[in-house]
Amino acid sequence: MDFDLMREAFPKIIAAVPTTLALAAISLCLGFALAVPLALMRVSKNRSISAIAYGYVYIIRSTPLLVQMFLIYYGSGQFRAFFEAAGLWTFFRDAWFCAILALTLSTAAYSTEIIRGAIQAVPLGQIEAARAVGMSGFLQFRRIVFPIAMRLALPAYGNEIILMVKSTSLASTITILEVTGVAKQIISNTYRPVEIFVIAGAIYLSINFIVSRSVTLIELWLNPHRRAERGVRTVSAAAGH
Amino acid sequence: MKSSGQVITVVPKGADVTTSAAIPDPAANSNNRPTLVAEDIHKSFGSLEVLKGTSLEASRGDVISIIGSSGSGKSTFLRCMNFLETPSKGRIAVGQDEIRVETGPRGRLIGLDRKKIDRMRMQLGMVFQSFNLWSHMTVLENVMEGPVHVLKQPKNEVRERAMDYLSKVGIAGKHASYPSELSGGQQQRVSIARALAMQPAALLFDEPTSALDPELVGEVLKVIRQLAEEGRTMVVVTHEMGFARDVSSKVIFLERGRVEEQGTPDQVFRNPTSSRCREFLASVR
Repeated sequence: MDFDLMREAFPKIIAAVPTTLALAAISLCLGFALAVPLALMRVSKNRSISAIAYGYVYIIRSTPLLVQMFLIYYGSGQFRAFFEAAGLWTFFRDAWFCAILALTLSTAAYSTEIIRGAIQAVPLGQIEAARAVGMSGFLQFRRIVFPIAMRLALPAYGNEIILMVKSTSLASTITILEVTGVAKQIISNTYRPVEIFVIAGAIYLSINFIVSRSVTLIELWLNPHRRAERGVRTVSAAAGH
Repeated sequence: MKSSGQVITVVPKGADVTTSAAIPDPAANSNNRPTLVAEDIHKSFGSLEVLKGTSLEASRGDVISIIGSSGSGKSTFLRCMNFLETPSKGRIAVGQDEIRVETGPRGRLIGLDRKKIDRMRMQLGMVFQSFNLWSHMTVLENVMEGPVHVLKQPKNEVRERAMDYLSKVGIAGKHASYPSELSGGQQQRVSIARALAMQPAALLFDEPTSALDPELVGEVLKVIRQLAEEGRTMVVVTHEMGFARDVSSKVIFLERGRVEEQGTPDQVFRNPTSSRCREFLASVR
């Protein structure tokens, strides 16, 4: 292990962390915004509305993100005339835009299924109680179904956030210089993959450590009764010793 | 007869003849209109006809118990009153609002008006067998939710009233707790407070003590009994025969989706005319 090289490379790779975080954060936000209406379409009683949402989820989930990213970035060139006519070429020739688009479409599909499952897991009795006080459908969703569903979805969604942080590394394949992209660049100059990828790996590890701790904290914050239970458990455990 | 004709001739129209100020009654202006009417209710699940033209009329202050063996349709009947089940046919009237449902060709239901249903539901407090408190809200938030977000009443007023109802059901000290931290009996009392907070014209109870441990039944029945004594209009589906006998002004015995026997508790419990009702009463004793 060449520790001097590592010391030298470390600040360069760290400098790419904001890019990685921006890719993950922007696509997660946009993906979530898409996923909520898609999940509602999925649980719709209207078969064709549900089928449209499922078709989308099915296609995105069943093809590799890398392939999707290539299709969007390299594939769009083949339809340049079309995109130019539509005034979209400025977006599609931009690697950054293509990366965000691919990541967004991907997380939207997975999140749709997470949120759909959570919506369907909201206890019917609590929805009936909302109906029984005269809440309109929208109010039921806003005040009861959505908040409960989000609490149910959180553990699985935390997983999705972690997966997305890691997926941003694929953006390096379409010229984006995020953590992996910068690491590859350094390796091509130094031919020391182990040292450099160890640093890159450690950075992803640290980011995801913070992510998973934060999700746990949010979970506790959203479920105060569970926090209370945990408190009691810790206290009694302490008393036992 | 609670209201006397004499008083009404003296008091100008629109001025309430308030007998008990604590209980608001949206139907008060139309003097002898019943608070809640369910008339000729039919309900089928697929080919199974659960209700075959069941009717009930509750005037102000009535406490009506619906009894019957399981599968007799009593819960379905109650749930039809606030459209948690949609009747296939029949008429429901709450205060000024009324809905007539009919099943048209190809099973399409005719006469359902979403807005009106919501308005009727606001006037009917519902207490469920399994409490159904909103798990993500504290006790106080549960009680305040309807008045604040459905009736759009000011938060401060509602909070005060909610605390009053919570102390009324003996649970004010737990207002900041979450439902999962409470016993079944406590949860059910919160859900009664939640129903009361809407200041409904009538309360519907769907087997309110059936999901409770035996030692917790008493505390909930005590609260319901107290509400009955206050003169609240209530319809109670129950297995508690003692409660039905002592508290109700009227008892309805349902059997296979039909009213088989009805009358005062005395009539139904002492001299039932129907043999099925006699058998049922003998079996639960």
